[in-house]
Amino acid sequence: MGLALLALTGVLVSAYMTAYKLGFVGSLVCGTGGCETVQNSPWSVFMGVPVPVIGLAGYGLMLVISLLGLQPRFEEDRRIPALLVGGALIGLAFTTYLTWLEATVINAWCRWCIVSAVIITLTVLFTLPEFRRLRSQP
Amino acid sequence: MKPFYVLLAAIAVIGIGAIFYSMRSGAEMATEPLDMSTIANADSLLAQARGIPIGDENAPVQVIVFSDFQCGGCAHWTTNVEPLVKQEYVETGKVRYTYYDYPITSIHAHAFLAARAARCALDQDKFWEYHDRVFAGQYEWSYSRTAPVDIFTRYATETGLDVDEFTQCLRSDRHAETVTANALLGQTLGVNGTPTVYINQRKLGDREWQDFATVSAAIQAAGGV
Repeated sequence: MGLALLALTGVLVSAYMTAYKLGFVGSLVCGTGGCETVQNSPWSVFMGVPVPVIGLAGYGLMLVISLLGLQPRFEEDRRIPALLVGGALIGLAFTTYLTWLEATVINAWCRWCIVSAVIITLTVLFTLPEFRRLRSQP
Repeated sequence: MKPFYVLLAAIAVIGIGAIFYSMRSGAEMATEPLDMSTIANADSLLAQARGIPIGDENAPVQVIVFSDFQCGGCAHWTTNVEPLVKQEYVETGKVRYTYYDYPITSIHAHAFLAARAARCALDQDKFWEYHDRVFAGQYEWSYSRTAPVDIFTRYATETGLDVDEFTQCLRSDRHAETVTANALLGQTLGVNGTPTVYINQRKLGDREWQDFATVSAAIQAAGGV
């Protein structure tokens, strides 16, 4: 349940950033001004896809999988914890890369990106029990 | 379990509501001309028309251009004719050249935003550099399915603008009135396509503006230069 809540929060944050990226939101509620520097930098697009859209898709997938995992018929399905752990680790790796870019290349901090980094870090922590469950299963 | 789903739904509704509120509050990014039906006094709007001039204000020949950033003919004018006009006549004090926006939004979805973007660059005294960059990249942004904000922002970086300041301008409704007023001015003068070029108030014909030699001859004839 915690994973689903985290994933939903990630979806909402990513949706807000995506709305900004597509021009539906004029300026970001950010406080420092670094959000717009980061979101308008060349690194806000990864392989042709806006980074918030990648986040939206990733968190959306995590939300769906975590909700499926709550259903009785999927309780013993090993694929659920495997997907959650795998998705969280990929998300953490990507977030680490983006955070490194903010710190060393862009030289600006986007608070919403930091929020997303916290969410994905907590997601990894929440998937640890799932990881242990996977390893303990025959 | 049910309370959990209720909580999840509540968070989703609140979050989506907050996003929609952000989209509605504040100055929305203006991508279309002002709705004339909401303008009480068209004359007061017309008075806000502002061309962007270069050259000696006392030059014997006035060249005025109504242009649309998404128009192919305007790209031809900007690339092949305008530089020569500037080099041969503006820089020698013979022509005062003034640019006016005339985005034909009925067929060019991003022309109004491009015009505003260029005026955001004007705020930082880099209109002409930005104007040239937008025309040079016309093929890139013209076919964008969404407002090409990212592309215009990249052009701002490339032309050495303060990107934060540019972005705040572009993502607001700044210059929407001016661009709308310029288009209204063009309509008032009888502009019905772009580029429309006036040399000392004589409108050049369709074939006249396409070739520098013809434009040059018209300038010389107009001012005796």
